[in-house]
Amino acid sequence: MSPDQIEVQLRFGELVSDELAPVIARTGERPRDRDPAESAEARAVVHAALTGLGATRLLLPARYGGEGRGQQHAVLLAELLGTALYRGPLLDTWTATELLAAEEGHEKLLAQIAEGHAVALALRESGADEPDEPPRAEVASGAVTATRRFVDLSGEVAHLLVAGRTPAGVEGLVVRADHPSVNRRRQGDITRGELHEVRLAGTPLVARTEWAPALPAARIRHAAYLVGLCQGALDAAVARAGERHQFGQPIGRFQSIAFSLAEVATRLEGARWLVRGAAWDADQGIDVRLVALQSLAMASDLVAGATALALQTFGAAGLTEECDAQLFFRRGALERAWLGSPAQLRARAVPLLAARVSAAAAGPHRWSQLS
Amino acid sequence: MRMALAPEQEQLRSDVCALLSEDSVRAEVERARRAPLGEEAGLLDVYRRLGERGWLAPNWPVEHGGLGRTLAEKAIVTEELMAHGVPDIVHTISIDIVGTAVNLLGTDAQRARWLPRLASGEGAASVLFSEPDVGSDLSRLTTRAEPDGDGWRLHGRKVYSMKSHVADFALCAARTTQSEVRYQGITVFLLPLRAAGVLVERLPGICDEQFGSISLQGVRLTGEHVLGAVDDGWQTIGDILGLERTGIEFEAKARRWLDQVLAEAARTGRLDDPGVGAALVELDAAVTAGRALSWRAVSNVLRAERDDVLSAMAKWHTTETAKRIALGAADACGLDVLLHGSDQGAVLSGMVESAHREAPGLTLASGTSEIMLYLIASTGLGLVG
Repeated sequence: MSPDQIEVQLRFGELVSDELAPVIARTGERPRDRDPAESAEARAVVHAALTGLGATRLLLPARYGGEGRGQQHAVLLAELLGTALYRGPLLDTWTATELLAAEEGHEKLLAQIAEGHAVALALRESGADEPDEPPRAEVASGAVTATRRFVDLSGEVAHLLVAGRTPAGVEGLVVRADHPSVNRRRQGDITRGELHEVRLAGTPLVARTEWAPALPAARIRHAAYLVGLCQGALDAAVARAGERHQFGQPIGRFQSIAFSLAEVATRLEGARWLVRGAAWDADQGIDVRLVALQSLAMASDLVAGATALALQTFGAAGLTEECDAQLFFRRGALERAWLGSPAQLRARAVPLLAARVSAAAAGPHRWSQLS
Repeated sequence: MRMALAPEQEQLRSDVCALLSEDSVRAEVERARRAPLGEEAGLLDVYRRLGERGWLAPNWPVEHGGLGRTLAEKAIVTEELMAHGVPDIVHTISIDIVGTAVNLLGTDAQRARWLPRLASGEGAASVLFSEPDVGSDLSRLTTRAEPDGDGWRLHGRKVYSMKSHVADFALCAARTTQSEVRYQGITVFLLPLRAAGVLVERLPGICDEQFGSISLQGVRLTGEHVLGAVDDGWQTIGDILGLERTGIEFEAKARRWLDQVLAEAARTGRLDDPGVGAALVELDAAVTAGRALSWRAVSNVLRAERDDVLSAMAKWHTTETAKRIALGAADACGLDVLLHGSDQGAVLSGMVESAHREAPGLTLASGTSEIMLYLIASTGLGLVG
């Protein structure tokens, strides 16, 4: 890892320290029997802290006052945030930042984002929609009419980026989240979070961008977040296996449990370096469409396995409110499908793999330029 | 995030690739692939040609036949050998395991005596650890080294050894001292396989590469044959199994196998089948992830940071992936890939059929998958043990 990558890890590491991570993990859901504003306030504090540390400027080009770092830096922070089960708009905001910075004329919006204005992605009208083929959005007289469900934290961000099919193609349509024409209904989801069904009724456009170019890098970053989420679940399970005694010894001494955890740890390490390698490729300008799909599918599968294994390791205690393992389990169910389900990701990857095979044709394998 | 290779390292890759792409080398590889069952590749001419250039063991000192370069160059050569389908067992055992052990744990005299022939591709070496009743738990080994003047005489039987019939010498573990503590009293010897008292017999098996059964009938050894310290063989064995173990040979083999399967699946049109295609996409990602782990392990060695847990992870990940590729190949490609290379209808020179028989051994040799998980769970996660 290069010195500036280590610097990024150190800079943000304190925010997700052992003391703060459990607190952050609890901000992802609406607390029972308490004021829902508590979690929103906590999330705002975390976002302000991240902004203060430069997270929102990380991927912003230097000409807009950003740090101009690459995906290699972003995935390190995404991993850290996943480990702490962070829930907030940073990853969505990064995606919007990249789309806006790729075109001219969005300087004001980018400056606002750099200062902490957050963006939420609005991708689906139906839960069966996939991010590559977003549903229709009506654009008329500079205003958007559309319905989007599964929009996270839409009441806590400054802008929404609505992915939609329009006569101009598939676009990213940016609107103000607090405009009077925006109506929202909280959805009751497995994470007990703040997912909303959002209805835009002639909401004025603030900006419009492309959408498709955002997906590969967004998927790599989300894969890194999922790697972190797995790490958090695994850490909790390993700690439990060391502490919980049955039959006169820690349950981690039983190979059935220890080996299951060791296998997840190994697969996790493989996924971590697959994702980090993909980030490196992206920064070199290498086509990462295939590896982005593969990275996210692998990380997604891992989340399903690791979070379920964590609950199994905790036993019935894992099913109680006070146990953090159930937070990883429930959040994992949502996060792992956020930018596409593994089955659909792999289906999309097949033609890309076939094209690679066809290009390689006969002859020995051409190892990638760097190991 | 990745280990950048220097221009001279990329040049080495290109040079090795060029040599292995020559018609004469390809013809030799093809002959080996299509050899009838039971006839295995020995010391191929291509090894000698690589050895002449110092490429078989580029990380060894120049005076011992290497180029005085790093493990990265060694990994590059291994990847190219695999990518070109060159039979690799001799190389893996002689250079990666035995030669590396002698280079890093041996005396100057031992290095001078044993390494040049390995590096030149004219000699080979093997490993004699396992016994009929002793596998992963080598502390129970029964081969005994009885004191005899200034040395010992070895008695016992070793099994599941590969390439002993073509090898000059072997790493051989034997008990020099009886001890209450079973981890003590073991010594690792450098055993000349042509010495009186060594009988090498074939032990027929399912793989192209046959096992050997080696009877040790009073073969005499002295202090010059001891690798490491007398009675400290448990530590030496642990070092040998951990030394510069990166999984490179396995990730490269997995990539070779998968690329062949992908080519065949594309040729037959099965790659377009959504079920087959998705499974191959998943395997392709696993191979890439395993390669990343293996190169992390190389990177650690280059920084002189030994990480046994990462090495175990790389070994487990790459061999389990390679096994999944080989055992699932017929699902992806159809029954043609199960024809032996000597059959006129064979595809890919019978590579997949051979791989199917070889694959189960990958998760057994050099530490089983269970031993790897034990190491990861104990040293890595602080469990079991």
